[in-house]
Parts: sequence; structure tokens; C-alpha cells
Amino acid sequence: MNSYLVYPVYCLITLTIYLLFYYLQIITKKVWLNPMLLTVLTLITLLLSFNIDYRQYNEAAQLFTHLVEPAVVALGFPLYQQLPAIKSQWKKITLLLIPAAALVISVSYIFTMLFINIPAVAVSLSLKSITTPIGIALTEQLNGNTSITAFAIILAGLFGATFGVKWLTFIGVTSPKAQGLAVGTASHALGTATISQLSFQHAAYGSLALIISATITAFISPTIITEIQLMYP
Amino acid sequence: MRYAISGLPASLYGMIVFAVLLHFRICDAQRVKLSITWAIRNMGICFVPAGVGIIEHFELIKSYGVALVTIIFLTTFLLLTFVGVIYQQIENKEQA
Repeated sequence: MNSYLVYPVYCLITLTIYLLFYYLQIITKKVWLNPMLLTVLTLITLLLSFNIDYRQYNEAAQLFTHLVEPAVVALGFPLYQQLPAIKSQWKKITLLLIPAAALVISVSYIFTMLFINIPAVAVSLSLKSITTPIGIALTEQLNGNTSITAFAIILAGLFGATFGVKWLTFIGVTSPKAQGLAVGTASHALGTATISQLSFQHAAYGSLALIISATITAFISPTIITEIQLMYP
Repeated sequence: MRYAISGLPASLYGMIVFAVLLHFRICDAQRVKLSITWAIRNMGICFVPAGVGIIEHFELIKSYGVALVTIIFLTTFLLLTFVGVIYQQIENKEQA
């Protein structure tokens, strides 16, 4: 079969399914109806039922993967919008988020090595709390597994979006600023989008945290992960 | 720090440069706003091929699926608790 002819077909199918779920989420307004997750699940079902090789699909759909890099550059826009808030708050928030990011990276890495013992998976799970484009870019840089990272990031986002505020209220963290920061740090854009409906402070501190924690993770994760890897020869 | 600077993905430098250009008004924020908002809202599709790649790892999920989800779940709650509790304490102190 001439594989080059099916390339545009695979891309169009991917785009169509994504758009269907995209509008479904806009209509239903349900966070867990994540269009990316649903598109992935639908495509997995399609590939398996029609016996299509993933590598062939992936080669065709590379078009979308190549768009990840310009997508990260586009995130400079929300970063720019948050600059005034970052200027007045950055010391306090950065001082809190550096140990937080370091903690979650090392705990995730060490736990994964203890129970699963595959370095590529450990890299993926340590980078799961940040926004997907940056998480994927860092995973490639650190020889992790991008598929596992993509899934772990969605799961972390869904956990924080569904249980985050309930859990925080339960343990006595009731201030909207603290809740926003915590959910933005642990559950990136997915969590922030959900809690943004609660109040303006949730939204502002959530997006502030997601941008600062992604930037901090980008800077410290190569060092932390390389150091831990040296301890696991 | 010896790994950090050389280890950053190229696109992250792009993100920072873009934010700086917007800040110093070398790029016009009003002009790019609509297209950027559109791009960010539809970013999810870029990760679909990577996500579908999970079918290459059925063995891994069969043997470690529960461990994977448990680690993701627990570390996410650890992070939520750490940041939430400490910031709440800082705020309580400031008000006191």
C-alpha cells in the first residue's frame, strides 16, 4: 500500500475526532470530557480494530507533534500577561515553589524507581505536574517516555481538578489564594481552568502558579534528575 | 546548575524571548492576542500522537498500571498539600 497517500487521511481523521470532542466539551462544560484524552482513546480503539501499526500512524501524524514547539512559544503570552503580578509576588511564590517542585520531582522519581524500576518512566512521572507542552519538551530532553508523560499529565490534571479544592478545604486550606496556588502547581492548566470558575483569585493565583512552577521545573529538573540517576547506576 | 542552561528545550527559550518582546512592546500584544488565544485553546491536538503511543506500552500498563496511577495520585496530593498548607500559614501570619 502506498503509505504516503494515507498520511493526509490520518491527519484529517485525527483533526475531525478532536474537533468533535472539542465542541462536545464546549457544549457540556465538563472538565473530564477532555478532548485530548477522548481523541487519544478513540484513536487507540480505531488503530486496534483496523489493525493499523502505531508507527505508521505516528509518522503521518508527526505534523501535530511538530506543532508542540510553536505551542510552547505561544505560552510566552500568558507569561507576559502575568508579569505585573509576578513582579510583586515572585519572591514569596518562587521561594515556596522551588522546594515544592524539587520535592515532587525527587519523590516521584524515587518512588517510580522503587516500584517500577524503569528510568524512562521515572523521568515521565517526575514531570507530570506541569503544563503538557513543557512537560513533553523536557521529557524528550531527559530521555523519558513522551506517551507516559502525556498520560500522567492528564491524570494529574484530572485528580487536581476533581478533588483538589475539596481536599484542600478538608485539610483546612481555605484561602482562595492558597487553593489557587496549590491547584495551579499540582494540576497545571486543567486544574486551573476548573477552579477559575470559583473566583478571580483562584484564577489569578492558579495561572501564576502554573507558569512559575513550569519555569522552575524546566530549570531544576535536569539537575535533580541527573543527580538521582547518578545514585541509581 | 551545570546541566540547566544547556539542557533547556529550545522552545522554552522561545517562550521567554516572546514574553520579553511583548513586554517591551516590540511585539504588539493586541495584534497577536486573538491568534494566540486560539492556539492555546487548541493546543491539546498536538499531544494526540504522543498520547496514542501508549498502545506501544501495553505490557508496561498490564504489569504496572496500578503502581503508575497510585504514584501519580499520591504525588499530586503531596504537592497540593505542601503548597496549600505552607501558603495558608504564610497568609495567616501576615494577617496576625
